[in-house]
Amino acid sequence: MAKEQKQVRELQEGSYVMMEDSPCKINAYSTAKPGKHGSAKARIEGKGVFDNKKRSLSQPVDAKVWVPIIERKGGQVLSVSDGEMQVMDLDSYETFTMRIPDGISASSDDEIEFLEYEGQRKIVRS
Amino acid sequence: MFPGTTAERDAADYVVVGAPLDVSTTFQPGTRFGPDEIRKFAEPYDDYDHRTDQFFTELGVADAGDVRAWDDAEAYLTFLSGTLRDVVWDDAVPLLLGGEHTVSYAGVEATDPKTFVCLDAHLDLRTEYDGNEWSHACVTRRVLDVVDEAVVVGARTGSPEEWERAEEEDVTVVPPESVREWLAGFDSDGPVYLSVDIDGADPSVAPGTGTMEPFGLSSTQMRDAVRAVAPACVGFDVVEVNDRDDGQAAALGGKLLREFVYAHAASSGSAPDDGGRADRPGD
Repeated sequence: MAKEQKQVRELQEGSYVMMEDSPCKINAYSTAKPGKHGSAKARIEGKGVFDNKKRSLSQPVDAKVWVPIIERKGGQVLSVSDGEMQVMDLDSYETFTMRIPDGISASSDDEIEFLEYEGQRKIVRS
Repeated sequence: MFPGTTAERDAADYVVVGAPLDVSTTFQPGTRFGPDEIRKFAEPYDDYDHRTDQFFTELGVADAGDVRAWDDAEAYLTFLSGTLRDVVWDDAVPLLLGGEHTVSYAGVEATDPKTFVCLDAHLDLRTEYDGNEWSHACVTRRVLDVVDEAVVVGARTGSPEEWERAEEEDVTVVPPESVREWLAGFDSDGPVYLSVDIDGADPSVAPGTGTMEPFGLSSTQMRDAVRAVAPACVGFDVVEVNDRDDGQAAALGGKLLREFVYAHAASSGSAPDDGGRADRPGD
């Protein structure tokens, strides 16, 4: 299971939520008071973990939303060529190839840390 | 609903949002009724604007209703700012209906302009009022934390400390008698947020406001200012309207909102040229 359901009130800044079918990290969370005739509403502002796109959603605090289960993993760079690197997952020993992101330098034997969600990966430390 | 707001929210170019905050008004309260008063007294206005040859109903304006206010102004501004940011992210211009002047801070934070231009009788440059830094009497001071400069058009009163703060480089004060001259030289080099505090008008023109201040702007001075500044704007509001008159303040507020939309839309190329029919600025 790569995602789970939670109530909007359980979310907080820094955690993840699915918005427009994309996993997003929550940057801002604010709530409106309910008043006499309505339910409390929350507005969540986030940024796509893998596409960096800004998104927001407004929902009653008792509404249910999907929260992605994003794994933080360690990997070892096996080889580098043509802007791509081959990486071995240090938990599963699975190897995969990924593009080297702009601003990141990679060479063989480097250890990296990455986020993984349903086949999408993003380096958070190299 | 503001009359003529026929666009769907998601497809709109302009989105009206009501912000009926009324927690720090210092004399006559009632700004909680402002948004609906403005909507009500905008009812009789013609759809067609002869000056710009545009129909309001064709300019993509939606009304998203009110963001219900509660008594924690700072928390309310955070939520309101987010709501307005959604409008900006949808490539639309937020049109905020106050509510006390404090709500302008949310509009500014959401649109991130370089310059804050407000039509206002008061400098609103206090660091705090009655111990409250989120009082409506402090809004321009708070806004200066976000923008590079503030221009207070029609200002005619303030405390000694406010006048002293107004002498710094990032504040320009335009008294009512100098509006024509200021408009003639207006040239923005960055995005502007325009706030209309209805008490910028003379109380004889707009008595339905919390803190009336005589010797104010005429309605045509306000109209000319809105027309001149609108093309540079990323956001707009009308604030401090209450229900303590026969609709004069709300009528002026609603009309200025429409003037803003006509002028902004005409300048962004969505409307034909005015064919030289534009009114000359006049007092």
